[in-house]
Order: sequence, then C-alpha cells, then structure tokens
Amino acid sequence: MATLIMIKAMFKRYAIELRRYWFNTLSMLVSFYLIFILMFYGIQSLAEGTAQFGGALNGMVVGFMVFYLTVYAYAELSWVLVGEASQGTLEQLSMSPLGFGRVLIARIFVALIFRMAIMFLLLLLMMWTTGRWLHFDLLTVIPLLLFTMASVQGIGFVMGGLALVFKQVQAALGILQFLFVGLIAAPIEQFPVLKLLPLSWGTRLIGDSMINGTRLWNIPTSDLLIVGGTGIGYFAAGFVVFKFLEHMARDRGLLGHY
Amino acid sequence: MVRVDELTKVYRSRRERVVAVDHVSFEVGVGEVVGLLGPNGAGKTTTIKSLCTLVRPTSGSIAIGGDDVLRHPRRALKRIAAVLEGNRNIYWRLSPRENMEFFSGLQGLPTRQVRPLIEELLERFRLGAKADTSARKLSRGMQQKLAVACALIKQTDVLLLDEPTLGLDVETSYELREALKGMAHNDGRTILLSTHDMNVVQDVCDRVVIIHEGKVVTDDKVANLLDVFRARAYRFVLEGRLDDKTCRHLDSSFDLLTLHHTDHRSEIEVEFLESTMLYRLMDVLRESGAVIESIDRQDPNLEEIFLSIVRGNH
Repeated sequence: MATLIMIKAMFKRYAIELRRYWFNTLSMLVSFYLIFILMFYGIQSLAEGTAQFGGALNGMVVGFMVFYLTVYAYAELSWVLVGEASQGTLEQLSMSPLGFGRVLIARIFVALIFRMAIMFLLLLLMMWTTGRWLHFDLLTVIPLLLFTMASVQGIGFVMGGLALVFKQVQAALGILQFLFVGLIAAPIEQFPVLKLLPLSWGTRLIGDSMINGTRLWNIPTSDLLIVGGTGIGYFAAGFVVFKFLEHMARDRGLLGHY
Repeated sequence: MVRVDELTKVYRSRRERVVAVDHVSFEVGVGEVVGLLGPNGAGKTTTIKSLCTLVRPTSGSIAIGGDDVLRHPRRALKRIAAVLEGNRNIYWRLSPRENMEFFSGLQGLPTRQVRPLIEELLERFRLGAKADTSARKLSRGMQQKLAVACALIKQTDVLLLDEPTLGLDVETSYELREALKGMAHNDGRTILLSTHDMNVVQDVCDRVVIIHEGKVVTDDKVANLLDVFRARAYRFVLEGRLDDKTCRHLDSSFDLLTLHHTDHRSEIEVEFLESTMLYRLMDVLRESGAVIESIDRQDPNLEEIFLSIVRGNH
C-alpha cells in the first residue's frame, strides 16, 4: 500500500512537471518527430519504387519507436540521479523508509509509462505521415515492450550506479547509446544465441506483432520465455550491480554529492 | 531516542586516510534539542549523514528509538527526517503544497491523511499565501522554511537539521528558531542540529555536543557551560596605567589574559582555569601597587565558550 502511495506521488510529480514545463515537453516531441521525418524522406528518396520500400518503412517506424523508448529507458536513471543530486534532493529520495532501490524503480517505471504514452502519440503521427498503419494490439505490444525495456533498464541501473560514484557519466552515456542500434539490428537469424542479448529478441517480436499482426498467444512460448527471462535477468543483474555501487557511494560518503 | 556509540568514520583513498569521526558517542533524549557544534571539517556533517544512513560508518553503532540504523535502516528511517541542504532540499519546480504532498508520498503517507497537516504547516511557517506558487519563485527564507515543513510532513520523531538558519535574514531566522522551539517543546520532537550560529544554539538548544577533529570535546547543557565559563572569566579595572614590568609579569604568568590601557586606567580580562589563579593575580597587582577600581565576573557568550573549547583553553 505504501509503495502504491509512493508511485502515485511520483506520477503526480511527473505529470505536474510535464504540464508546467510544457514547452520542454512539446520541443521534445517536435524534435523526435523532425528526426523521424528526415529519416523518412531519406529512405523514400533511396528506396521508393523498390520492392523493399514498404518493408523498410515499416521497419523504420518500429525501430524508431523502440529506439526512442530505449534511449530513455537506458539513460533515465542516470539523468534522474545526476539531476536530483545537483538539485539537492537525492538525499531525500535515498532516505525514504520504503528503500532507495524501490523509490528509483518506481521513478523509472513512472517515467517509462509516460514515455510510452508520448511514444504512442509519436507513433500515431509517424503512421499518419508515412500513410502506413501498423497493427497495434495493446495486449501484445505492451507486455513485450515492458520486458524488452526492462533488459535495457538493467544496463541503465549499472550506469546509474556509476553516476552515483563517479558523477559525470554523460560522455559514456552518449557513446553507449550507439550500442543499442547494434542490439536492435543484431543478426539473430544467423546467430540465434544473440536472442539472449538485451533488447534484440524483444524488438523482433514487437516488430513482428506490429507489422504482421502476430498476437501474444500466437508467439511460441519459448520466444516469450526468452524475452521475459532476458528482461528479468538483465534488470536483476543491473540492480545488483547498482546496489553494490550504491554501497560504495555510501561508504565513500558520495551519496547526494554532485 | 538517538544513541550514537563509538561512531567512527574513516575515508580511505589511494593517497590518504582521513579520520572524519573518531569514536564519537552521545545521546539525545525525547523532546530534547541538541546542537552539534564544531569548526569546519570537525565531523558534524559526517555524523549527521551517518545518522540518516547516507554515510556508512567504519565502526560503532547508531540507534534511533532502539532501532539499529545499520542493521535496520528502513525501520530507522521511519523515525528520521532531515534537512541537509537547506533550501535545496525541495523541488523548486513544485509549489509548497505539491512539495509536501510529494514528500509525504515518499514516506508512504496518503495525501488525504496529511492534508490537514499540510494546511497547518503552511500556516505555521507563514507560507499560506504562496502555497500554490512554484518554490523557485519564493525567497530563500521561505524555501528554507518549506524544506523544514517538508521534513515535518513526514511525521517522524527525530528531526536532523544541518545549518538550518544559514543565509537567512534576522526575521526569518527568528521565525525558524521559534518554530524549532515549538516543535521540541510542544510537539515533543527530538531535534539534532548542526550550526555555526551560536545565537541559534543559545536560543534553541538544551544541550550542546562539541566535536573537534572528529572527537567529542564537550557534551553538556548550554546552561551549565554558560555557568562554568561565567565563573571563570573576570574583568579588572585598575586606576592609572600599569607599569611595563607588571604587564610583562602578567603576560608571562597568565595564558588567558588580555590587557587594555587608556590614559587613566588599565583593564584586565582574564579567564582562570583554577580558582587559585585569582589569588595569584591579586598578589601580583598588590605587589605592583595597583589600585583596583572594580572587579566584574564576565558573562561569556556561547561563541567565546566554543572558541575556548576548540582551542583547548579549558
């Protein structure tokens, strides 16, 4: 019950900040949409008229959507920690009797829900722009997205832990972002073992659902287990590393410093 | 309520080993206001941060209401609220009301339950007129009061405050001091505060713990300290100017002695570590033929006492 109250408080704060700083929210939406438009016309000029054009566009829409969520799922925690530390409020978060880890999980969960809502809006815009309307079965896409993003958040926890100890991790965050492009486009067909990487297999299943209309109950159980297992596994492993680094930060008296 | 036992914190790096807190022990009773004093780098903030689990001690133990902070941090944190960064401990993008709602939620307290308390705190800290204004638009004093209100909304038994009046104007500092007194004496809250402002200590605290170079050098009631030092400090006014030989004699015989001369009189301010020293001084003056116009026992302020203690002159 107390955790639900805390999550509700997080939701409320997030919503207030998005509304109060609407220009920031709007500019984020517009900039992502502009990037998409540039990519769309790029692909159109290169591939229009070819047999692959439709598939390339569909893939781009799904890939862009997943990449948008991935970037935030991965970097959100580090941004939160660095931002709260520089504001002077991180110590307050870490002093919650509900536990620092639980507070941060709630914080990134709330952020993910808001990002997903924003992404759906962007998706509608993208589909309207391309004229290609994809399948969007909520019961299939949302669970797949949650588990796929959980694996990315595991890496985000490692980066967040490093941010607690080393403070300035923005450079590493920026560079590692490109790693996710590789994970999204990993050659799983040639090397099935790559399904165990974070993000890779989940992205394929999301793409399959949105492009071909595959429903959750039509996806083989083994595939779902891989997505669920990698999601939970990477998230848990990342959280363990985070707790270790948090311990180190408390030991060195660095928690809350900026 | 708060028990710190042999608390030690050593910061280690490749190059050096810094003992920030060295076997510090003290207790704070229910409803007591204790001032944690010490020069910069004495170990006050490390002690306070250890109490609220932000720093992991190297050794020693801390208990809040009987709960071991190291073994059961979450249980202990239910009893502690802290203001460690003054006006930076709040969300500047949120209004005072939204801040208090958020911090109560962080504690797992439902908004519906704390709403009457929010209104009471807005009233108590005179923030009512700005209740729905972004905190960034408030004055520093208002932000600082809001930070304390956000700590109070957590409804904990213990309040830890690091420099609560730093940078505040006289009026706001007075308001905050009155509020702190009210919290301790009317609400029965236990307060541990670190400060450099001796007015705050003298006005608000029942007891002081003075830390110097990581060690507790004094742990006593404020009234006791003032009494002890009052009994030791004297001011002698002498007719005429003391001769140079006697001045040199006094300088060499008494460590804590200051001489002031005017054309027609001399003044001696002196602190005695032993009562026999008073007689020795009287002897020196009598031998020099000085005429004593008056002798006053001086009322030292807490700042002088603090300086005397940390300089080892006690």
